[in-house]
Amino acid sequence: MSGTVKIRTGIAGLDKMLHGGLVAGRPYIVSGPPGAGKTVLSMQFLREGLEGGERCLFVALEEPPNELKVNMRPFRWNLDDLEVLDANSDIRRFEPTPILEISTETEPVKMRAVEERIRKTPDFESHEVTVHSLLQLLKKLFVKRKYHRVVIDSMTALRYFCMREFEETLTTQSFMRFLTEAGVTSLLTLELPEEGDVPAEAFLARGEFRLHKLRDETGIKRFVSIEKYKGSSHEEFVFPFEITNSGVGVHVGATVPPQGL
Amino acid sequence: MGERVSTGVEGLDAMVRGGLLPGRPYVFSGPTGSGKTILATHFLLEGLKLGEPCLMVTLDEPPSELKANMGLFGWNLDRLKILDATPDVRAHKRQRSVIDVGTALDVRDMEDVNGLRQSSQIRALEVTVHSVQKMIKQEFAQRLERTTERYKRIVIDSLTALKMFSMQGEDSRILIQSFLRFLSELEATSVIISERLDRSTIETEFFLSRGEIRLHKWLDGNVIRRAISVEKFRGSSFDDKIRPVTIGNAGLVVFSNAQASFRGGPSALRVGESFLESRIIEEVSNLLDAVLRQVDEAHRRQINVKDIEVAVSRAMVHFQRRHYQKALKHALACDSQLKQLLGEAPPPPPPSAPPKPPGVRA
Repeated sequence: MSGTVKIRTGIAGLDKMLHGGLVAGRPYIVSGPPGAGKTVLSMQFLREGLEGGERCLFVALEEPPNELKVNMRPFRWNLDDLEVLDANSDIRRFEPTPILEISTETEPVKMRAVEERIRKTPDFESHEVTVHSLLQLLKKLFVKRKYHRVVIDSMTALRYFCMREFEETLTTQSFMRFLTEAGVTSLLTLELPEEGDVPAEAFLARGEFRLHKLRDETGIKRFVSIEKYKGSSHEEFVFPFEITNSGVGVHVGATVPPQGL
Repeated sequence: MGERVSTGVEGLDAMVRGGLLPGRPYVFSGPTGSGKTILATHFLLEGLKLGEPCLMVTLDEPPSELKANMGLFGWNLDRLKILDATPDVRAHKRQRSVIDVGTALDVRDMEDVNGLRQSSQIRALEVTVHSVQKMIKQEFAQRLERTTERYKRIVIDSLTALKMFSMQGEDSRILIQSFLRFLSELEATSVIISERLDRSTIETEFFLSRGEIRLHKWLDGNVIRRAISVEKFRGSSFDDKIRPVTIGNAGLVVFSNAQASFRGGPSALRVGESFLESRIIEEVSNLLDAVLRQVDEAHRRQINVKDIEVAVSRAMVHFQRRHYQKALKHALACDSQLKQLLGEAPPPPPPSAPPKPPGVRA
């Protein structure tokens, strides 16, 4: 594939599987069951960007940023310049209270400035995130500054907590469309159930990397596969990976397909 | 870092490298009778031992039963605060006033728990997430008025009950998200007990919680075997093996150095419950073999089985996708149809021959 610019994911093995990296400026999905390593992998993707002096944004919809900061500490990555957008909704109120739209209220915070304690829901107003307000906010941010890499963690949280059921598919589609038009390379994490069908988001992205988690008597075995990658060739095999002190490491040498997949 | 909250079970602490991370919500999951409540009680007991204020919110069992059950282990839970959020007997007549539990705060020391609370004659208590949240909040506030020490450990037993009684549809996700946020903001280490009802859906508490500890229970011959595993644990490494568990006089014991053995077939290795799964896989694949043989036979006899072939391929797709129940259903339907066709259809001469009129002998 000559002519297209590929950027590195920050994981050497994965780059090899992708035959060089990701085609820049498109949205990609990282899917897997809870505890598979999606957040760690996407954080490595951002770190790679930071080291190259790129502007990176992490949109946190699942965990409060203070916990994220603690969780990433064991890896000893320098994430100080990472911008983190706290898009966790406050505690819902059942009495009518003024609702602050995230698009008018929030600004990303540099990782180094993320506080140690969780942000508390204020007593008289609450801070609510809908997909529309998030979209508006991101639009505003992208106009102001040029972001190179963006992670949305996770699309499942966005769908579950920020959308109404009747608009789910359509809104997801327009959200991904927006990311493409913005020209940022984005990784979107997606929860998979332990069994059963793959959620619709997977069909909309330009590529999907799926993390698998299998158990046997020797413990958890992790594998990564590329389910889809438009506009590039890629490895078809399923490769084992590990999460260690230095993050996700894919073993591209080993090509033993796991049983049960 | 470094600071951890002990679970009160030595073996489990070893599996999670010292304990849970303070101030975060965790899920204990597992089938009925696998020991979730016992494990959670260990967690609270450890807190009490360290002099920490602990709160148990019970939605499943009335506190009186809980007290009796845990009395068997000889544990002293007197200082445990217990919030009784079990719903009342629903009155089926129209109630004059249904009040939610949020307005009828009932926190007691375990010591004072005696009999079962009787449903009131004129009003019934309804339990919703909101009311439980309100109760906990009120209790937190009241505690801070009395003392300076806040609750350090909270157990919700169980969220499954709450989900079944008081939540429906899309709302439940947002309610649970909000509830978990609420628990995080309390800055107490909390444990939510939840049964995984359906493995093919993504349930909110499982992906939002910062860790999941899963208890397993399965039948090996006529012996119940138990095991425990850590499925997810954010912000720390953990032991990823399934370890054997026993429940005895001293409560729940985790053998963090022993291997759990999964007897009952090679594919039962993954988790205990997949033992049953392996049986159904075997059954479905045998059935599909038989069906395919019958289809071949039908072809040989030139019987038209197009429709059945479509159904067979559907069954095989289900099988591939690991929807074994559906595969079994389709395969069984094909099997009976084929048996009927092959039984009825006359041997070799093709079915295009006109059927014999009834009553006329050849």
